[in-house]
Amino acid sequence: MQIKRLLSLAALLGLASLSIVAVVAQEATETPTIEPPTPFDCKEGVELKGEPIKIGIAVAQTSNVALLGQEQVIGAQIAGEFFNNCGGINGRPIQLVFQDTAGDEAGAINAFQTVIADGVVGIVGPTLSQQAFASDPIANDAGVPVMAPSNTARGIPQIGRYISRISAPVAIVAPNAVAAALDLNPDIKNVAVFYAQNDAFASSETVTFQETVNKLGLNLATVQTFQTTDTDFSAQISNALALDPQLVIISGLAADGGNLVKQLREFGYEGLIVGGNGLNTANIFPVCQALCDGIIIAQAYSYANESPINQTFREIYKEAQGKEPPQFSAQAFAAVQVFVEALIALDNEVGLDTLELAELRTRLNDTLLNMTYDTPLGPVGFVSEGEADGEIIQGQFYVAQIQMNEDGQTGSFVFIR
Amino acid sequence: MTTNLFFQQVANGLAIGSVYAIFALGYTLIFSILGIINFAHGAVFTLGAYFTFTLTGTAFGFNGLLAQQKLPFSLWFPLALLGGALLAGLISVIIERLAFRPLRRRGADSLLTLVSSLGLAVAIVNIIQFLVGAEAYSYPSSALNDILTPFLFLFPDGKVPLALRVPLTEPPIIVRMVQVVIFATSIFILIALTYLINGTKVGKAMRAVAEDATTSSLLGISTDRLIQFTFFLSGFVGGIAGVLVGMSVGITGPYFGIAFGLKGLAVIVLGGLGSIPGAVLGGLVIGLGEALVPAEYIGYKDAVAFAVLFIVLLIRPQGLLGRVFIQKV
Amino acid sequence: MDFFSTYGFLIVSMLFQAMLGLSLYIPLMTGQLSLASPGFYALGGYIAAILSTTVFLPEGGGKWESGTFPIIYVLIETVLAGLASALLALLIGFPSLRLRGIYLALATIAFVEIVRVLSLNLEITGKAIGIFGVPQPFINKFDYVVLALPLLIASAWFVYRLERSRVGRAFTALREDELAAAAMGVNPTTNKVLAFVLGAVLAGMVGAISAHFLNTWNARQGTFDVSILVLAYVIIGGSRTFLGPILGGLLLTALPEVLRAIAGIQGLPLFLSQFLLDGRLIIYGLLIVVAPLFYPQGLITPDLFKRRAVKTKEAGA
Repeated sequence: MQIKRLLSLAALLGLASLSIVAVVAQEATETPTIEPPTPFDCKEGVELKGEPIKIGIAVAQTSNVALLGQEQVIGAQIAGEFFNNCGGINGRPIQLVFQDTAGDEAGAINAFQTVIADGVVGIVGPTLSQQAFASDPIANDAGVPVMAPSNTARGIPQIGRYISRISAPVAIVAPNAVAAALDLNPDIKNVAVFYAQNDAFASSETVTFQETVNKLGLNLATVQTFQTTDTDFSAQISNALALDPQLVIISGLAADGGNLVKQLREFGYEGLIVGGNGLNTANIFPVCQALCDGIIIAQAYSYANESPINQTFREIYKEAQGKEPPQFSAQAFAAVQVFVEALIALDNEVGLDTLELAELRTRLNDTLLNMTYDTPLGPVGFVSEGEADGEIIQGQFYVAQIQMNEDGQTGSFVFIR
Repeated sequence: MTTNLFFQQVANGLAIGSVYAIFALGYTLIFSILGIINFAHGAVFTLGAYFTFTLTGTAFGFNGLLAQQKLPFSLWFPLALLGGALLAGLISVIIERLAFRPLRRRGADSLLTLVSSLGLAVAIVNIIQFLVGAEAYSYPSSALNDILTPFLFLFPDGKVPLALRVPLTEPPIIVRMVQVVIFATSIFILIALTYLINGTKVGKAMRAVAEDATTSSLLGISTDRLIQFTFFLSGFVGGIAGVLVGMSVGITGPYFGIAFGLKGLAVIVLGGLGSIPGAVLGGLVIGLGEALVPAEYIGYKDAVAFAVLFIVLLIRPQGLLGRVFIQKV
Repeated sequence: MDFFSTYGFLIVSMLFQAMLGLSLYIPLMTGQLSLASPGFYALGGYIAAILSTTVFLPEGGGKWESGTFPIIYVLIETVLAGLASALLALLIGFPSLRLRGIYLALATIAFVEIVRVLSLNLEITGKAIGIFGVPQPFINKFDYVVLALPLLIASAWFVYRLERSRVGRAFTALREDELAAAAMGVNPTTNKVLAFVLGAVLAGMVGAISAHFLNTWNARQGTFDVSILVLAYVIIGGSRTFLGPILGGLLLTALPEVLRAIAGIQGLPLFLSQFLLDGRLIIYGLLIVVAPLFYPQGLITPDLFKRRAVKTKEAGA
């Protein structure tokens, strides 16, 4: 073991990770297309009988990521009820088994092992990418399919054959949002980029944003970082505003992103603001209130999507929560939907009763990778072969602009692209 | 860094520093009397913010046991603030009864109280989430105007602007109005507490208890009641702090105050444990240290604050304004 | 067998946490409240994660199949992590150990925080995402017990012997009365630094194995929260005998999972099992508040053994 060798390898590692990012970004531009899915066929009034089929929902119900987990729980609960009302799996009910992962890696592993032992056919979870790197290998080794509802870091589907995700990495949606900003203001020259450096979601997304800025020939004036737990951003804002940006791009989550926007405006910034995928939630409204107005948001989910399944989901959500559904809830719903539709297809093909649990899990995984789905997120499918199997292929991405109402407390996402 | 940016960052540093200071004031108060760290202070701070929100008569969100509940009345914001702070003080007294007094009676190690106050903090945070969910809440947008009612004549058309522009440089230095309020309030609390401790009879008794609890109880001071009063005061100040910071950044969820725990601890240790002016000075020094990190190295902001702390401790092991006392371990 | 596949991870985590408790206990033997363990734990984890994903590659490149990573490599990483932690502990130990009590605690927290911020910023530590795909020497998490248990027994035995050695008595003398100890010829600096380094080495080694055990390593592993949690192990378990932190680590790690398991018992009323699930951290927190009331010296105190020793003697006589 030579120290020199270690050092040079360490340097190489840095280079290698950069080049991987480049490769991924390049691949993503050639989006594979999918067969158009058939809409979900709801068979209302079917009497459910038989042993329930269990699906594990292992997300963060406690800890400081609970805000995201809470939205996922709601989305999954809505899905559970909805699909049981629609006849379950050909008359057999589904049962969602919720286990709290909390915010840490050990918690995710514990929750995964508990649901696996409980006999679930598949798992939706965990909330954070960092947790996924800890818990997904366990499910993969146990042969249990995992549908990640919100893990966007690179390398998630590559963990193994059984790991898939419904959450699109942001390579496609981010450039759209910047292009939309350029449409609104063609005179943009200087761009300031902000991102939450302790969040995997944000720090992956910002790479794409920065590449887009460079590719469009804009001047990337400064990159400022913060932490998702921060509440004061004045130092970063002053650093950025000293460089006179016409566009600010933020990758973060609801509370920190909302505060950053609010403080940017209070510091007199009047230019356009693009918010990443993490800001795609009505949870930012109470934070930046009237000052949220005008943020351009890159969306992997738009509640305005007119497909019947989305409008049904949207109605149920609004009924229960009194606001428009956020992306995290829609993704959790879609993750459950994928399992349900694949289970129905598998039941039609061979009959679920004929399969042992281990075989059922494996067959379910193979089936779900080869189907396409009409979800609230739009039509989705998966890469079914190779290293990146389980990577989502999503047809529709959106760019919306936030419009706040007179009261300064409520608002809406207005579709612009 | 240009001169203008430098002055702007100094202003930012003082602003964020005053947030740390206002958090730390109630924190250090308990240390000054009891010589122990109350880890539940962050939770009390959070509760102050939530209580005030409740008293404004706004409904909770759709999650948790209290989903969509609201009070049948609604208080004018300054009254809600006062009520919230009083309730936070009350909770602080209850915390003293539950986590501190029984241990004091049993003569337990002071580290044990630290751990049991931590347990209470964990419980409170999760109770909040259980009751009202993990989402963010915010005060009515009129809140800032309402608490500045006596000063409205200072502003044209009687409306408080969101930010002050100080034309010392060109372009002017910008300070968020709510930060000015926080800064002024922390200075006011500092003066009030200093007067209370040094200029009143209660303060004298508090100092006596801090010096030697046993002797002072022999001298006829009711130690328990005095400690209770200190906890009430700490909770009250913490509650006000929570509301003001909540006005500045929104109540960002049940972990709202806990997030300041680490910085708050750094602040009171830097200032000198138990020193009330030290809490303010420590807050401002850390705030300034963070704001003056060059833009390229902003990612190391938190490390810089702690590196400064580390170095200051090596030079002055008792903190900036702490007393030197020969300690027999 | 099913029990071990479900709870194997938890059982081994309990062992690791018990060792972290010990690593904080060793400096405490000299009266120093050092909360630096998570910093060294993080360092050890990064050393193992980086080595095993970049240097210890299988012949001909590619990835290790799950369960095929040679244990000898894990041991090498563990030793290296221990050495690196020792060096770093020496470096920061000398200047910081003139601080006492809460000031020392905070200086060590500052160290933990600096490690965290560095790992969020450096390319080699993978920034926010960290390092993933750490290769596995075992297929089942429970199999890690062959590394964790001997390490725990060895470190517990080491501390047990230490407490009864000349050095250990010097440590105790420093804790009880530093001035008097110094007057009797105990060198405070040497002994304190030694205790600090020993604690750091243990934490670093635990981190190295944990990186494999958790499959991934990132900046969220060694934080202020972990510092406080580990302190709770020691204080709840008992800070006057090495068995205290071990018991504290075992119990406090198991507690949330035990509550989870109770919630899963069939036939509980729905609201109760729901509360146990959603509110298990409320219960956890309250138990931490209540425990010290009944055990103000921690769950295990040296008296416990003295009394037993007396009893055995009586029985023998």
